Amino acid sequence: MEQLLNALINGILLGGVLALLAFGLNLIFGVVKIIHMAYGQFVMLGFYIIYFFCATLGLPITMSVIIGVVIMALFGALTQLSLIKPLLSAPRVNQLLALASLIIIVENLAMFIWGADYRGIPMDMPIIEIGTVFIRSSYLFAFIGALAVLGLLYLFLHSTFTGLAIRAVAQDMEVAKLMGVNPGLIYYITLMTGGALTGVVAAFFVPIYTVHPHFGSSFTIMAFIIVVLGGMGNLLGGFISAFIIGIVTSVAAVLTTTEVADIVVLVIFIMVMLVRPQGILGKGVAT
Amino acid sequence: MNSSGIIGKIIPGFVLLAAVILPFLPVSTYIIHVVTLIFIWSLIGTAWSYMGRFGLVSLGHGAFMGIGAYTATLLFNSFGLSPWLGMILGAFAACFLGAVLGYACFRFGIIGDYFALVTLAVAELVALLIVAFRETTGGSLGLTIRSVGTSVVDFQFENRIYFYFICMGFLALVLYIWKRIDGSDMRKALAAIGEDEIAAASLGVNIIKNKMAITLISTFCTSLGGTLYAQYITYLSPDTVSGVGVSLAVPFKAILGGMFTLWGPFIGSTIVVSLEEYIRVAYGGKYTSLSQIAYGLALVVLIMFLPKGIFGTIKEKLFRK
Repeated sequence: MEQLLNALINGILLGGVLALLAFGLNLIFGVVKIIHMAYGQFVMLGFYIIYFFCATLGLPITMSVIIGVVIMALFGALTQLSLIKPLLSAPRVNQLLALASLIIIVENLAMFIWGADYRGIPMDMPIIEIGTVFIRSSYLFAFIGALAVLGLLYLFLHSTFTGLAIRAVAQDMEVAKLMGVNPGLIYYITLMTGGALTGVVAAFFVPIYTVHPHFGSSFTIMAFIIVVLGGMGNLLGGFISAFIIGIVTSVAAVLTTTEVADIVVLVIFIMVMLVRPQGILGKGVAT
Repeated sequence: MNSSGIIGKIIPGFVLLAAVILPFLPVSTYIIHVVTLIFIWSLIGTAWSYMGRFGLVSLGHGAFMGIGAYTATLLFNSFGLSPWLGMILGAFAACFLGAVLGYACFRFGIIGDYFALVTLAVAELVALLIVAFRETTGGSLGLTIRSVGTSVVDFQFENRIYFYFICMGFLALVLYIWKRIDGSDMRKALAAIGEDEIAAASLGVNIIKNKMAITLISTFCTSLGGTLYAQYITYLSPDTVSGVGVSLAVPFKAILGGMFTLWGPFIGSTIVVSLEEYIRVAYGGKYTSLSQIAYGLALVVLIMFLPKGIFGTIKEKLFRK
């Protein structure tokens, strides 16, 4: 029982971070209508960049994080410029496969520079004990941080002109164009925001995980499942389903093993897709 | 049209002739090995294109390969059942999954992106299940096929040339099935469904039946390809015959060559496998990661500049008049 309660609380904390992870993917899908297959790999790259500046060059961690986020934003812009822009009118599956090729490139780039070793920045993060519940402060920190960033993103989307323009392009490209919105610029801003978010997520992962070149793939799939479950492009749906997935993963892992937990998540995903392909909060399938 | 018809017959004839006499020429066994791999991947790519060309873009064909390969190998390793038989049983097992998945998707009207995502999830699910049942399947470390030397019944040959011709035979079979599909009423029905599902349904086309038929044919052949690959390499792991990586690599080859044409997947596989091998041999020893980066970049560039596939583009230019 205590174990279950622990799992539930850890699941909620994990859900917060997953919500932030999925947000970037969701935003990119909502605006550019493209599925960023290498999103988790970008988180991995962000992790390595923060590691490089902090552990190798010895910069303070906050500064390393800021540099990491900026570099990842630039990577986002580079992806838009070199890959997404030329493929905007290509068939859907070509877009998917081109972005999937990016997985090979990014993973091997990391392998080439940093090798296959597990790398991390050692940090002293205490475990908080409340009654019989144990909370790792690294998870709590990531949870609070993720919610704060999500709040900022909400403000950005809802009370700035750029945010309004992004939402307009996501909702109706043609009308947005008529209103004088430059979609090319909005795409860049979206990809840069998504890129910066991979850096931010990486920063919250630093106290929790160690990184290796194949670190990203499970997060890509996780982010993917959350986004589809919530309804592709539906930011609120993604937020809710992140918590569902976080809790399911955490509770199933305690009751069985982490492997079975992954299987359970996938089965739930397939079931939901079959019965409600538009996701739990989606508005219907556009065909 | 007349000249294109002749060219369309002459070129495949030459390719076939070259393929048949190649093993008898003084070429290294390595070349034979690479061409055998090309045959296997072309077979799987063609089987994928059965569905892909009608808008049923599956990103989960690794699941069917994996089921075929693991069924045949496990039955052979544990019970000594001939892999020839295991191959057929595996193909039926793959068909069973294909039928369940297909029926569920088509019944609920899952098409386009959503179909791709569901199949992708199924591929990952099969890979995870293979890993989870590690007592039987060897988990992510993989499984080696018990070696018995050369035995026709056990589908093992020390000389690669046997595999070369067997794989060529299966490829020919799969290409023949493509031709048969092309000449059937099913093709018309599926083309109509691919264009506009609702319009096709209103004209009395049975959507579920036609889609199920093509899905079963595709999964059956894909599974055969999976078993062939495992028998040839004599080693299988979730990463090499199942999972997301393989599931994406299959459509990649098909699309690169041109999934709407008979020879497209073959050409795509030839280019990708050759490129992969060339980069691996030329630079792999010292700079494995760098060679993989170059490979990834090459894939991106190819797909960007040849969106209709290489063969699709050439055919369009050549046979326009």
